[in-house]
Amino acid sequence: MNKKLKSTFKSNEIYIFLIIIALGILVQIRSGQFFTGNNMVDLLSAMIVPGMFAVAEFLAIIAGGIDVSFPALASLSAYASTRILLDQNYDGNVILAFVIAMAIGALLGAVNGFLIGYLNLNAMIVTLGTSSVFQGFMQGALRAKQLSVIPSGMKEFGTNSFITATNKTNNLTSILPYTFIILLIVCAVMFFILRYTIFGRGIYAIGGNPVSAHTVGFNVKRTKFFMYIIIGMIAAAGGICRVCMMQQMHPTNMLGMEMNIIAGVVLGGVALTGGAGTLIGCILGTFLIILVQNSMILLGVPTTWSNVFVGIVIVVGVALSAYQSIRTEKTKKKLVKEAA
Amino acid sequence: MKKGIAALLCATMVLGLTACGSDTKETSGEKKAEASPASENQSQLASDEAVKKASDEGWEIAVVPKDSTNPWFVRMDTGVEEFADTTGVNCYQIDTGEIDATHQAQMVEDLIAQGVDAICVVPVDVESMDVVLKKAQDAGIVVIAHEGAELKNVDYDIEAFSNAGYGAFIMQNLAEAMGEEGVYTTMVASLTNGSHNEWADAAVEYQKENYPKMTLLEENPRVESNDNGDTAYNAAKELIKTYPDLKGILGTSSYDAPGVARAIQELGLQDKFFTTGTGMPADNAELLKSGVIKSLTLWDPAMSGQAMVSLACKVLAGESITAPLNLNVDGYTEMTEREGSKTVLEGQGWVTIDADNVDSFGF
Repeated sequence: MNKKLKSTFKSNEIYIFLIIIALGILVQIRSGQFFTGNNMVDLLSAMIVPGMFAVAEFLAIIAGGIDVSFPALASLSAYASTRILLDQNYDGNVILAFVIAMAIGALLGAVNGFLIGYLNLNAMIVTLGTSSVFQGFMQGALRAKQLSVIPSGMKEFGTNSFITATNKTNNLTSILPYTFIILLIVCAVMFFILRYTIFGRGIYAIGGNPVSAHTVGFNVKRTKFFMYIIIGMIAAAGGICRVCMMQQMHPTNMLGMEMNIIAGVVLGGVALTGGAGTLIGCILGTFLIILVQNSMILLGVPTTWSNVFVGIVIVVGVALSAYQSIRTEKTKKKLVKEAA
Repeated sequence: MKKGIAALLCATMVLGLTACGSDTKETSGEKKAEASPASENQSQLASDEAVKKASDEGWEIAVVPKDSTNPWFVRMDTGVEEFADTTGVNCYQIDTGEIDATHQAQMVEDLIAQGVDAICVVPVDVESMDVVLKKAQDAGIVVIAHEGAELKNVDYDIEAFSNAGYGAFIMQNLAEAMGEEGVYTTMVASLTNGSHNEWADAAVEYQKENYPKMTLLEENPRVESNDNGDTAYNAAKELIKTYPDLKGILGTSSYDAPGVARAIQELGLQDKFFTTGTGMPADNAELLKSGVIKSLTLWDPAMSGQAMVSLACKVLAGESITAPLNLNVDGYTEMTEREGSKTVLEGQGWVTIDADNVDSFGF
């Protein structure tokens, strides 16, 4: 038991978790509104789309790469599929929207995957480039503008309540839409793949050391290729969730999200150098960012200072996780020395 | 462990499936409103001396939009056509195709070569357009611009309103929705956005002078939406949670009010919490008809187009242009000079968009 406790406290996740709790208590003291059902639901609902993007980004970073194209990819796939359904006067349920968007997302992800995996180009440069291409294609070829009406199936999916929380003191009712289920599915599936499949272990292996991964028999190129396809699919699903929840499609609305998502993933203890990090850490880190962003008003931080506050939390969090990894590294070395 | 995961997976799948079941519930309250921007000013327009003269002399006045395919400028074309129909002035809006600064400059060069009498332009790019307009003025052509206050080689530039005037107008709309009482706060795209903050400042100023029962939320007088409907939505929910007395949010960017409206809908606060702000009609038709938003504010491009042509007539006729200037176009009847500028004229060309007129704009 003692050993288990020790190892828990060595992990990065527990510290992020503690920061989250501490912040929660702080917000509770300042506003008395943190530990209320509707606030929790609000936070979870704000977490849905960034959460899915974070899982996608997490994969890229674990594999030693990075992806800054996912907002553009998600926008393009979500825009194209909403447009297709609108043009067809589609009034069925939401599944078709997800299928079309994820197919487009897979295709766009394959472009990234081909350039990064098979041509072995730098992931940052490639995704910066494809991000512009996706945006340009959307604005140029598709002449994208705001779609203020979306198919009824999508609208219902994004607004019907999965969990409804009513605050008894002020009678405010918040709803958690069904899109939350999509986030749960994405997390569950990726957790399973990363932990129990050769492909998933391969993602960790090529991020840790591509040469040794290749030597022990992982197909590095193919793993990267398929991984970026999966990233594209998750991002596209996230895009559709966003459209459903907003009840409208705005083509540029998601652009610029990448930096905060990357910050959240790194906050969760995922190494930017690749090969190390957990899905739980990634989700906790992202949740911390969402929490900070959506608690500034509750905390009473003036608008002029809220960016500073968000920045400080990111820096402190990353510093903590860096310190943590150095400490683990040291103990490992010590153990190796003792063994020798 | 594996069993646990399998169970979790199954559970999420089942939940996912139930989530996809849907019941259809359609609310369509399509209202057809007539698409005519006409008013009593229209009749005065036809009898205006300068306009009469323009019609008699057959002066040719060309309007150059940014992008003639954009619904905004299609609406402007409607206004210009109506001007021609009611007054007999030879004015028309040219077809520019897609938005393109170089192409627009080329079209103006062509108009100069054709020898039109006046060019009214909404510039895509101020710098490149200014060079071409110099040529037009050298050729003796009257140049009127709209939304191009930085242009130097123009006779006049028309702005629909002053920032202060528009801010006050948004406040009038919010006050009406709130019943002129209660606590409100303001929302801008960012604290560094020039015009949004000027509108919000002017709105607060106007409230202090005219609505004594309304108060600005002291703890948080201005929040940011980052020009993003989702941020506006989350900020609104947070504000409502934190300040139970808050009754309204005055939006400025076109993402503010629609985002806040989503929060109002979700929290079940319709008719208890109010918002208004700039908004495009078509994008917000549903929200306006459902009553979550009572009104939005905007300016009408049809009127801007008519105001440009009307002013061109006056300049061509040699009338002296002095403030307050009456162009006999709604919202442009008491135009004033912008402080520190001799060419920029500002009107009161704001309009309220509500459930009744939202379908009449065509954009």
